[in-house]
Amino acid sequence: MQYTVHFGQVVKYIPYLLGGAWLSFQIAFLAFCGGMVIGLAGAMAKTFGNRFLRGIVNGYVTFFTNTPQLVQIYFIFFGLPQFGLVLSPYEVVLVGMTINAGAYATEIQRAGFLSVHRSELEAAETVGMSLLQSVRYVILPHLAKVLYPPFSNLYIIMTLGTSMAAIFGVEELTGRSFNVNATTFRSIEVFSITAGLYILVTIVASFVLLYLGRWLFRVKGKVF
Amino acid sequence: MSDSLLQEIPRFFTYYNCIFLLQAAWRTIALSAVGCVVGFAIGFFLAILRITRERHLLVVRIPSIGYVEFFRRVPFLVTLMFMFFTFQVLKFQFSVFTVAMITVCLIASGFVAEIVRAGIESVHITQWDAGEVLNFTLAQKLRLVIVPQAWKVILPPAFSFFISFIKDTALASQIGVIELTYAGKVFNNKGFSAILVFGTILIMYFIISYPLTRFGRWMEGKLGVSKH
Repeated sequence: MQYTVHFGQVVKYIPYLLGGAWLSFQIAFLAFCGGMVIGLAGAMAKTFGNRFLRGIVNGYVTFFTNTPQLVQIYFIFFGLPQFGLVLSPYEVVLVGMTINAGAYATEIQRAGFLSVHRSELEAAETVGMSLLQSVRYVILPHLAKVLYPPFSNLYIIMTLGTSMAAIFGVEELTGRSFNVNATTFRSIEVFSITAGLYILVTIVASFVLLYLGRWLFRVKGKVF
Repeated sequence: MSDSLLQEIPRFFTYYNCIFLLQAAWRTIALSAVGCVVGFAIGFFLAILRITRERHLLVVRIPSIGYVEFFRRVPFLVTLMFMFFTFQVLKFQFSVFTVAMITVCLIASGFVAEIVRAGIESVHITQWDAGEVLNFTLAQKLRLVIVPQAWKVILPPAFSFFISFIKDTALASQIGVIELTYAGKVFNNKGFSAILVFGTILIMYFIISYPLTRFGRWMEGKLGVSKH
């Protein structure tokens, strides 16, 4: 039990780790945006598509929400080269996370679509709104309010999920902390600083999302 | 390409490989099941500590908030590595499986605490007042008034969290616990094609997780929580 904690050697690596946090943010943000787009298409297909299209989207969502993201990325990482397609680790992680996020986003957006009641559309028609106006003034505000909280939740979960990229050799926050751990052998200090940085990043993200939501859509919420 | 894949299938699904896969699957299930049960017990306790308003419980309330926020905001992988190296440095002779199990319990309790808190907060404040009027103690209020009503709100998200937890335990492979993902890595290193190996692993996870998802959905319908 004789262990003295030495933060001194690790503290000088904090700028390096912060650079990793920036990459984590990039991965999370890009995968999130990609997931939103896939989710929108998927939710459209599920709500308005024919049976065949619905079946495909259902299969996609069911499969990707019921299997671990890590194994999905492994599958892409080791599987694609067998078809002669070699992607860099960064690209593989990005693709894997986007596809995974797409499945969750599809579910979220579909639930949002279902929450728009027919009576709201009828009310819009009654006041004489055109289709475009009813989308702009009735449907979108409603959707934004319903979808914003689960989406901000998804974003936080994805930020944490980016730590998986370290396993594939991407040097984001966790990957860089592995590097620092290997150079300094100060495991406890390194990983507690990394944990602190993750907490910082997610709390900042939570606050930004909260105030953005209040300002744009008047969504109520709290961080703690 | 597909020919060689077809030729590989009988070589892959030999008796001993199947045994290995099933043992690995068993470890995945054990890890998540223990994590769920212990996590639920601790999480419930933490949630109750967090919502209490009594002043003398302030000493325990603040650490419990810190605990919950810590484990919800740090990635599984980082927590796992942290625990792994901490136990190593402190010279605890734990197997990697034990380390993974402890980590899983800690993280699960953090998340469950938040779910339980949301459930308890969904019960109207007047119910607490009513309990107060009847001169109930905190334990009585919870047991007789609050929890029976909060239960319906707690159970569905808790269950879906547990299912997501089965998937999260895949990360335990990174410290060397021989569960499904690790088994996949082993077979891949042995030279079996990645598509076959990780495809099998994906399907096995799906087989574990999908029936539970269906059950959760059924239960949600049965409990009949109105969504508004």
